[in-house]
Amino acid sequence: MALGKPIRDYAAVQVWIQGLTEQWGEAPSDMGARLAVLERFCDFVERDPDSLIQECSREVEGGKRIRIKARRLYSEKIAEFQSSVEGDARSQGRAGNTIRSFLIHNGIFMQAGVQS
Amino acid sequence: MEFKEVVGRRRSIRFFEPDKPVEREKIQVILETARLASCAVNAHWLRAIVVERDKIPPEKLSQLKTPVAALTLDLAPVHIYFFCDLGVVNRIKGSRLRELVDAGALAPTHGWSHKFVDDFVYPQILEPMTKNLQGYLAAAMADAGGAAQNALLAAFDEGLGACLNTPNPMLTKQVFGVPDDWISLWVMVVGYPAESWEAGGQRPRPPFEELYFEGEYGKPFKRDPAVVEKLKQAKMIQAPAPLPGRREEIRKLAERLGLPE
Repeated sequence: MALGKPIRDYAAVQVWIQGLTEQWGEAPSDMGARLAVLERFCDFVERDPDSLIQECSREVEGGKRIRIKARRLYSEKIAEFQSSVEGDARSQGRAGNTIRSFLIHNGIFMQAGVQS
Repeated sequence: MEFKEVVGRRRSIRFFEPDKPVEREKIQVILETARLASCAVNAHWLRAIVVERDKIPPEKLSQLKTPVAALTLDLAPVHIYFFCDLGVVNRIKGSRLRELVDAGALAPTHGWSHKFVDDFVYPQILEPMTKNLQGYLAAAMADAGGAAQNALLAAFDEGLGACLNTPNPMLTKQVFGVPDDWISLWVMVVGYPAESWEAGGQRPRPPFEELYFEGEYGKPFKRDPAVVEKLKQAKMIQAPAPLPGRREEIRKLAERLGLPE
């Protein structure tokens, strides 16, 4: 599934970029490799970045809630995706962690354990 | 280590050396320290089940993982599950309070006698207290908390790192088959820290005067800078977080342990 606009233009991607910049002091221009991995994942699950985040959370009275089932589904999809990535276990783990990082910086708390 | 330094060095450690085992002796020290905690009516509500991560069946370990504690359970080689044994008061029926009278800890100088314990304390105070679950739970859990804090400090004194997490209470009870009247409290994950002992510095705390009062509510207990200085010398009050280089440290740990950034 091709994205309807450049990946950097999605609100959830901007939140991610901002999060990475604030947390690690990384320049947005250095995030090309990460964005490419996210784009591949979006293709893998046939969703755009904003829909992914929307699916994992919902608005309730008094704020947002994480949708546990959706988070579980995407945790499994990430595991599937990373094992489909070419390379050794470490680079596969890195690819999975890139997607986890995208979700985490968008407020979707998740832990996947040690990826090596 | 000196007591004040142990207090000062305690941090919630969340990065552990996954493959560095913890000596059984050190675990015993942690439990021995919990057992010596101050405890109302000498009841001792705290119970613990020690789990070695690599010895528990993987399906049980996986059941015990919560979204927030999954990673620390993976990283820490030892997990100590703390419970509150609510049945203890009605089982011992004041007998341990009697022991305190025998031991000279509770004396007639302060109004205590065997007769008072037997005729009044258990039947008139303790037993009815156990029937008011809300009040009883608060009292029992506060005591258990003190004992768990002792355990935490002992871990640091032994050169280990540790952190208290909240497990899923129902699953924890199911996995370990504990009695019905045990309440699941915390899991203390224990191991050798993979992060530096400073772990980014002493965590932020609310201002002293906001927490403690003198004589009446609203009149802050005045903090003497000389005492603060003394505690700094004793390494109890330490450099506040974040220390320079903390983010780089986390990044290196993420890379080494394969964790998301």
